[in-house]
Parts: sequence; C-alpha cells; structure tokens
Amino acid sequence: MSGPAGVGLGWRPEIAGFVAGLPGLRFVEVIAESVPAAGPLPDGLAALRERGVTVVPHGVRLSLGGAEPVDPARVAHLAAVADLTGAPLVSEHIAFVRAGGLDAGHLLPLPRSRDAVAAVCANVARAQADLPVPIALEPIAALFDWPDDELDEAAFLTEILDRTGALLLLDVANVYANARNRGADPLDLLDRLPLERIAYAHVAGGAEHGGFYHDTHTDPVPRAVLDLVGELCARHRPPALLLERDGHYPPADALRAELDALAAASGFPVVT
Amino acid sequence: MSGDLAARQAALVAALVAGAPAPPGFAPGPLAAARTALLRKRAGEVARHWPLLAAGLGPRWPEVFARWADGRPTAGSLRDGWDLARELRDAGTLPPLGADELAVREAGHRYDGRSAPRPRRPPGWGRAGGAVAVQLAGRVRLLRPARR
Repeated sequence: MSGPAGVGLGWRPEIAGFVAGLPGLRFVEVIAESVPAAGPLPDGLAALRERGVTVVPHGVRLSLGGAEPVDPARVAHLAAVADLTGAPLVSEHIAFVRAGGLDAGHLLPLPRSRDAVAAVCANVARAQADLPVPIALEPIAALFDWPDDELDEAAFLTEILDRTGALLLLDVANVYANARNRGADPLDLLDRLPLERIAYAHVAGGAEHGGFYHDTHTDPVPRAVLDLVGELCARHRPPALLLERDGHYPPADALRAELDALAAASGFPVVT
Repeated sequence: MSGDLAARQAALVAALVAGAPAPPGFAPGPLAAARTALLRKRAGEVARHWPLLAAGLGPRWPEVFARWADGRPTAGSLRDGWDLARELRDAGTLPPLGADELAVREAGHRYDGRSAPRPRRPPGWGRAGGAVAVQLAGRVRLLRPARR
C-alpha cells in the first residue's frame, strides 16, 4: 500500500459514516488497540481499504518509553493489525503509560536523559524486530518536565530517531502545546528537528484549563496551530497531515471546515 | 541504570494516579495540572462505558467522578464505573438513569468487585435503587425502571 498522503483523518467508530462520505480522502489512522488482532476489520474501515485508502495503525499503549521491556504480546498485536490493514507503516509514542504495576491511563513524558534514550531505543528495537513494517515515533504533549533533563527536546528526539532509524510522526499541536506551556518558541523546535524524517504529521484541537493549554482532541483546532502547520510546511511539507478528533464530535459541517482549513494551511487538495 | 529509571517512573505514576507523594524535584503546579487532566480524561472514558450513569449525574459527572477516582488507580473503565455506581447506590445518591444501567449490568454479569465481571448464567437478576432487570434466554431487559 502507498504511504500516507495528503489530508487525513483519525478513523473512529463514532464518525465512521462521516469518514466514509469524504470523497477525496486517501489516508486514515486507526487506534491499533481498538482492532481485534484476529480481525475482522470494522466494516467502515474495510470499505475504506477497498477504496484504496491507506490505513495506519496508531498504537497508544505499547509504553515504548517504559524502563521495562515492551510487552511482546502488545507488539504482536500491533504487527497483526498492520497485516490486517495492509499498512505501509505503524506509529507509536515516545512515552510511557504504565510503571510499577500501575496504569497511568495516558501518555507520560520521559526524562530527557541518556538512560531514557537507551530505554526507548531498546524497546523500539524490540518492536522493530517483530513488526512487518517501519514504525514512526511521535513526541507527546506533556504538561510537566522531569527535574533533571540532560538533553533539550530536539537533541533528545533526534538522538532517538538516529539510533533507531525510525520515522518521525510530528504532532504539530503537541509542539504548540509544549512550547506554550513552557513559554518557549515552537519554531525553535521545528528548526532543529529532522523534518525530512516525517512520515506524516498530526494536528488536533485543544483548550486552556487552569493556566495550561491541554491537547484535548475534543476541541476545535486553534488558529495558532494552523499557523504552525503553515510554518512547518514552509520549511518542509510532510507527505501527509492527519486531523485527530477523539470525542465531543462536532456537526459534520464543522468537521469538514476543520479538514478544509488543514488543506488550506498545508496546500494539500481538499478531501471534503 | 534502567532500575533507577523504572523506580522513578513507578513513583511518578503512583503520584499521578494513586495518591502517592510527588517525587522530589518536580514542579508542583504542572504535576497537579497533569493529575487533574488524567482524571478528566478518565471521566470521559468511564462515561463512554456508563453513558446513563454519566447522563444521570449531568453537569455534576466530572466532579463526582473525580472525587471518587482521585488517588484510586483505574481498574479499567467498566469496573471503575461499576464500583462508582455501587458506591452511589449504597449512599442513596445514584440517579435513576444510573440505577437502570447498574441493574441491567448486574443482571447480565457477576462482578465481585475485585476481578473482571463474568457473564451470568441465565436466568439472572439485577436490582439497584428500585430498578429491576432480568436476563432470560441470553437477553437482558429492564423490567422496572427506577423511580423518577
């Protein structure tokens, strides 16, 4: 199957009908853990595959950044979903989601230390050994940093990508959220990341609560994030940009407008 | 040094979801914001598994859920909602919609509060707050809704 291209949308059962009605769509993502390894694919997703739409399984629970070795059963599941969807690649996060027998229920940041780089790279290598396709790694949005970072974010991410040979899944909304919450300039990070390694980019909405910008995926995409998409594309346009929406689904017209705004910001053809 | 990293990750998760003290050195404001955000996300996930319970509590849902869940690690959305619904039932504060939903779940599954719920062999009954549900021939029906 061909790689991700153009403007895509995260496929979710709640908006399967909407996604099916997008005439120009060539690329979706599916949450890997939501697909049974033995199949079958959800009906809506199978229909998209028949239309030649690229489907990329996106894992959220591997915990590649955990100090413990990644669970081989979780890797096997991701590999099976990659086969089921005929995916050209899979993606996961530079994060951990559980430790000490407790599940955090969300992606947590790693210390930007040499130890953590070694732990992630070891787990990515374990995953790569059992995956049928390449993996793209996504840096997360974090509300807090560890107290003793040895590397800055660009150096940390570049080191991991160099050592694993993995592709980059850059989430533009995460870049925006982290910079805003740290009082940094998001362009500094864009200028220092290996943008030519991007397999595709994520874009999502968020909102401010309690003095922090939260990457909620349940709010509209702010203008500032779209502007950052423009900045990214001006430097190096990634092959594809995917809108993630994970709840509080808006009326179809509003979701179409978000996809159109993403097309306008990137110069890709509209898919609606 | 991965042993050190493992211990530090475990201490951080415990602080975020199990009420353990914050590990030294972390800025308290951002860590508290992350804890609150995790509770909000979890409330949304449990609401998807227990839509009537959440709807019955309406705008109070996030706050009621967060108060119950703070410091209590998740057992998965299904069990989290089940435990909360039972606690509200025992306190007499389970809304009628939530009682209907709990009765239906109790009729279909046996849940000991410690491990994953298992399907009940029919016939099965479930009661909560005046709501009565029955499972016959593999189908669960609400016989009598809770008093509105």
